[in-house]
Amino acid sequence: MAAETNSLPLTAPQSPKARASFGDRLIVALAIICTFIAFSPFAYAILTSFKSQWKDGSIIPFVQFEPDLQNWQTEFGSGGPETFKALRNSTLISLGATLVATTLGTLAGYGLARFKYGVGNRNLVSWFLSQRFLPPVATLIPFVLMFRDLKLLDTLPGMVIVNATFTLPFAVLIMRDYFADLPPEMREAALVDGAGEFTTFLRIALPLARPALVASTLICFAFAWNEFLFASVLANRDWKPYPMLVAGSDTVRGIDFGFVTTRMLIAVTAPVILSLMVQRFIVRGLTFGAVKG
Amino acid sequence: MSNSRAKYLFLMPGVCWILAFTLFPLVYSFGLSLTNYRLGKNPKYIGFENYAEILGIGDEKVDKKAVSTASFSAFLFLGSTAATLIFGTFVAWVFNHNLPFLRQMRAIITMPLFAAPIALGWLGVVLFNEQSGPINNVLEGLGLGRVNWFIEPMPARFAVMFTDVWQWTPFVFIVVLAAMQSVPDDLYESARLDTKSNWVLFRSITFPMIAPALGTVMLLRMVESLKIIDIPYSLTRGGPGSVTQTYVYYAYEKGLVGSFQLGEAAALAYLMVVVAIVVSSIYFYRVRERFA
Repeated sequence: MAAETNSLPLTAPQSPKARASFGDRLIVALAIICTFIAFSPFAYAILTSFKSQWKDGSIIPFVQFEPDLQNWQTEFGSGGPETFKALRNSTLISLGATLVATTLGTLAGYGLARFKYGVGNRNLVSWFLSQRFLPPVATLIPFVLMFRDLKLLDTLPGMVIVNATFTLPFAVLIMRDYFADLPPEMREAALVDGAGEFTTFLRIALPLARPALVASTLICFAFAWNEFLFASVLANRDWKPYPMLVAGSDTVRGIDFGFVTTRMLIAVTAPVILSLMVQRFIVRGLTFGAVKG
Repeated sequence: MSNSRAKYLFLMPGVCWILAFTLFPLVYSFGLSLTNYRLGKNPKYIGFENYAEILGIGDEKVDKKAVSTASFSAFLFLGSTAATLIFGTFVAWVFNHNLPFLRQMRAIITMPLFAAPIALGWLGVVLFNEQSGPINNVLEGLGLGRVNWFIEPMPARFAVMFTDVWQWTPFVFIVVLAAMQSVPDDLYESARLDTKSNWVLFRSITFPMIAPALGTVMLLRMVESLKIIDIPYSLTRGGPGSVTQTYVYYAYEKGLVGSFQLGEAAALAYLMVVVAIVVSSIYFYRVRERFA
């Protein structure tokens, strides 16, 4: 509702003049140029993926453009088993990691929003988030040895652990912020009625936090889906996720642009679409709450 | 159930998870950095010798590749951070106008942010291709001539930087736009009585009001720029030579490819952890009040 009313002035012309001023036109032109720069590489990739014979490029991609589905057929047809297996792996790993991260993040986020802890809540929140600041290599190196000893190399649980670990900060932050904004009277009323802390959390707070749960789930899923570095070392055979196929696109048959762009598009589709659904949580989620979106 | 027990039950699973899978590996990694561990060989405790070797302390020679890869990381740290801040702020300024269609276009602009960096590196391979890539075609069409993006060191460095900047400008854009939209309108209205210049308005009102958000986003970009590895991995393989290899990419290669010198790689990574701790401390010092 709030979003609706906010958007009204954006579409309504600001000045009473019937014709847009020169300044306004300039701004719209600049906006179109920015949007073009952001989108044209994707558009170029889409066009390239429908070209099987790479002809010497021309400045306008439409010239000499005879679209065919050969790259897509190869990826899902003859290369299908490998593709589907990697996509299945990516899906299971991302879902598992999202489930773990969102569950732990929701519990911790609720605790941090509703209770006071001895060590200081802001220290605890910072501690949870600081993990995102570490260079991944620093934990990747010990993970190799730990996973070898625990027999977790190239397994689903191993990959879920890794991805849940680095998406957990997003979940904690998004959930804590949302719970902190809920009116405390609701919880207090439920407690007075005799409900325990967990009943109150499950029956009152959790249903109200559904938008944040959705946002946390989608952001965690998108980041886990894109993860390549850990996978490249910890899961390079049976549990290879899709980004590993993308990374190895050249070893299969040299660099074939149509083929490379096809894989690239398959890899980016899911997270890009998901991100479009959670626009209003992105700012807070990605700045760890420092800027309110 | 008592209140005090419940509150710890909410927090504990998450805390235990981080202890087990972030803190323990970090301690493990530090221990590893004090050994000469190589895969398949018995590790020996060698104290701070790995660090001495990297930094050239005592009678060791400084690790030249650590220095050169660190300098490329510094190039991205400065260049990529500055470029995303400038472009992102400009795009936010453009989109902070009450005009039709801007809202729809806004969603499209955020798309690169969520694409897998490893895939964007490959996209870069296609776009920057010397013979048939659209970037060279456009440059030639503009009369600027073709650039050997993957053969010459400086263009290769810029190709990596441009790809990263293209991915992360939307991040600065959405954060700064959110900050711009929270500036009260009456500030502008009263200032418009004195000036008509957009530049003066930006400098005297918008910029001071968005400065805190810019500071935040700058620190986040700095941290992320130090973590860059996926884009050069697929775009240039670190080449030509190793001029586009980042510092973390070097640590990755040292420890996890070929000879698996995990001890030395852990020491390399740990030096980066120190940098990350410094930057994140500044960050949390600035924003922690919000978490109270």
